[in-house]
Amino acid sequence: MGAVTDDEVIRKRLLIDGDGAGDDRRINVLLKSFTKWCNSTGSPEEGFTQYQRMLGTLAQCEFSMGKTLLVYDMNLREMENYEKIYTDIEQNITSAHDKISECKKEIQRAKRIRKNRQEYDALAKVIQQHPDRHETLKQLEALDKELQQLSHIKENVEDKLELRKKQFHVLLSTIQELQQTLENDEKSENDDAQESSMENGE
Amino acid sequence: MGPVEHLHMSVFSQSFSPCGRFLAAGNNYGEIAIVTPVSLSAPLTPLLFLNFLYFSPSLVYSLSAHEGPVFSLFSTDSHLLSAGNGEISAWSWAELIKRNTKAAWTRRPNYKSSLEIPEINAMTVNPTENSLVIGGGDNNIHIMDLESGVFKSVLQGHTDYIHCLSVREREGEILSGGEDGAVRIWDHRTGQSVHCIEVYKYEECARPQYGKWISCLTTESDWMLCGGGPSLSLWHLRSMSPTSIFPLSGCQRQANFYQDMILSVGEGQCVSHCLLGGEVKAQIPCTPHSLNTLALNLNSTDNRVLTVGGSSHQIDVFTNLSYRTFSLSF
Repeated sequence: MGAVTDDEVIRKRLLIDGDGAGDDRRINVLLKSFTKWCNSTGSPEEGFTQYQRMLGTLAQCEFSMGKTLLVYDMNLREMENYEKIYTDIEQNITSAHDKISECKKEIQRAKRIRKNRQEYDALAKVIQQHPDRHETLKQLEALDKELQQLSHIKENVEDKLELRKKQFHVLLSTIQELQQTLENDEKSENDDAQESSMENGE
Repeated sequence: MGPVEHLHMSVFSQSFSPCGRFLAAGNNYGEIAIVTPVSLSAPLTPLLFLNFLYFSPSLVYSLSAHEGPVFSLFSTDSHLLSAGNGEISAWSWAELIKRNTKAAWTRRPNYKSSLEIPEINAMTVNPTENSLVIGGGDNNIHIMDLESGVFKSVLQGHTDYIHCLSVREREGEILSGGEDGAVRIWDHRTGQSVHCIEVYKYEECARPQYGKWISCLTTESDWMLCGGGPSLSLWHLRSMSPTSIFPLSGCQRQANFYQDMILSVGEGQCVSHCLLGGEVKAQIPCTPHSLNTLALNLNSTDNRVLTVGGSSHQIDVFTNLSYRTFSLSF
């Protein structure tokens, strides 16, 4: 266990601060200067300046630590933000897919409607070429009436014709009978005259 | 297959497998090529270019199916039916995927004269009766029962060979368009011709400079698209009247309804997208100079592609209908 964590620690430290310039070096320098200051045999002013210097380095270390903590917080919050945006975009994609399939269905429906409309238009064009039904019916009725009237007149004329024919027939037959009777009378007169002349001649 | 033969190759027919993962294409040398369109509809990632590399000849293998050209291909739930000069062969899709090139069965309708063998131009299946409807060079439509293989009936009435067929399941009608310019509607039970529309007699559709033949016919509920010599026109079948005429310059060889559009291919190096009202929305250029066939993969949800083939050994694949993605080579 110890070896594993050691490796991890070494890897992490190398990653963060491999080149030795920075916080790690500062802490090492601080430790060294602290031990030197504890064991120093110089004047109290020197010791005081060294002490001030060490406080300064300590403050620097604290400052950089605070900075890293803030950066870490910021990264966490950025991650959350990105997650949110990611889920938003995913939802948008699925809703767009749904909308697309809805629109496709709409297109099919609209195409069917358009086709029906076009068929209707084509038929309507043909129908418009033919005359209106009411007018044709009216014309037919008028023609019917005319036809009836004319057949009526024809009947009347035919009846008249028959009557006249019959009347003429009667007239002609009476004339003929009269002629016959007149001829008969003439003949009988002639016969009588001949008989009397024959009697006279003897 | 030498380079000269490659140059003169034409693709006449295409069909997607029922699972939607394979495409079969037939050419004028009697070969059928099976292609594996692996995840064609992936968005433009580097993977798509990888797929382009995947379409090396190893994934496109061809089998020699007929002696003459393969004019028509049709996929049922388990089999691929191919028709060429007078005979129909069926291949099991499961076997084709395993590259086993033996036909399941080969049959031939009863032709009156045994001297000349008429070609079969169009095949379609009537699902309600489970019967195969075949139209070809002998001016008649033969109906064969798919289970027993017996040729049940012959519909006679056309005076010239038949180019294209279509089936209206709900009304139980078979429509056929032929070289004589007539679109005949047959009742499949009685075998009688219920209607006969002569498209070239309608002034607005007729194009006398091209002729009167009808080479493409497709139906969807009450509407029918037909074209060929006369301009491509949309007809309302209940009133038997043409409702829109499409101002496309060449003769159209195949047209399909797709969502609210009409896709049509024919003479002219492009796939035309038209609206039902009669306007041409777009014309997408493609490699073959004149196109014979158009196939839409509607069987699979993630492989929705459009493939076109024509007078070239390349088949263009469109993953997005607006542009050509890449070409497969026979």
